[in-house]
Amino acid sequence: MEQQFSLSSEVRNNCLVITTTGYVNNVGGEAIAKEFARHFEGGTKKVIINLAQSKVVNSIGMSFLIDIVDQLNDAGGKMVFTNLDPAIHKMLSIMGLFQFAGKANTVDDALKELSA
Amino acid sequence: MKDAITLKMSLPKIPNIELVAIEGLDRLAHHLGIMEDKIGEAKVLVTEAIINALEHSGESDPAVRVEFSMTKQELIILVRDFGKGFEPSSIEVPNIHDKLGSKDKRGWGLKLMKTMSDDFRIESNKQGTKITIKKLLH
Repeated sequence: MEQQFSLSSEVRNNCLVITTTGYVNNVGGEAIAKEFARHFEGGTKKVIINLAQSKVVNSIGMSFLIDIVDQLNDAGGKMVFTNLDPAIHKMLSIMGLFQFAGKANTVDDALKELSA
Repeated sequence: MKDAITLKMSLPKIPNIELVAIEGLDRLAHHLGIMEDKIGEAKVLVTEAIINALEHSGESDPAVRVEFSMTKQELIILVRDFGKGFEPSSIEVPNIHDKLGSKDKRGWGLKLMKTMSDDFRIESNKQGTKITIKKLLH
């Protein structure tokens, strides 16, 4: 069964990289939002969401990520998703998120995109 | 459906209970040799249908009934709650342009289920709501 949600984060090349494990539901989404807020207040405006270890998400969890995209857009920042499961990629496409957020195969690819 | 394997369950309203249904779906699908991309999309449909039902389920009978019927060709998902129901046509279709800048970022479930499925039906009245989803698997 999908694992309990957890996350880890690091700052690389001035980008916040949040890596999740497990089900991204309302609790997971809120945890990501709190981690983002902590760094955003310190001036970080580039964010990578690495979903390599999250194979199940729901739309409530994703609504928290839309809120982060909203804040980054207002601040001239950017979010990039990486390591997306094909079904999650399709879900985010239907929601229209890729009009306002990027996507990359790996964290390293995302870092290159954000530093370009 | 002829030769379909079925799984029925009644899910209590407790956190992350939808993962139990996802696990059951996963086992049925692997038993039938369904492609991973189709399983992934079916998981999204099941997750959205159940969290929607749990949100609208009533106080008197908060459980949600779920049934899968699966063949190698297709999956039928039935999700029923016994809440007070709602008028599906009154639900605004979400748009990312409108959601950005709005306080309410939620409300994507019906759009996702309609778009990712091959047939989507919703029946709702004062006795509850029944969602029927068909997903082709080949």
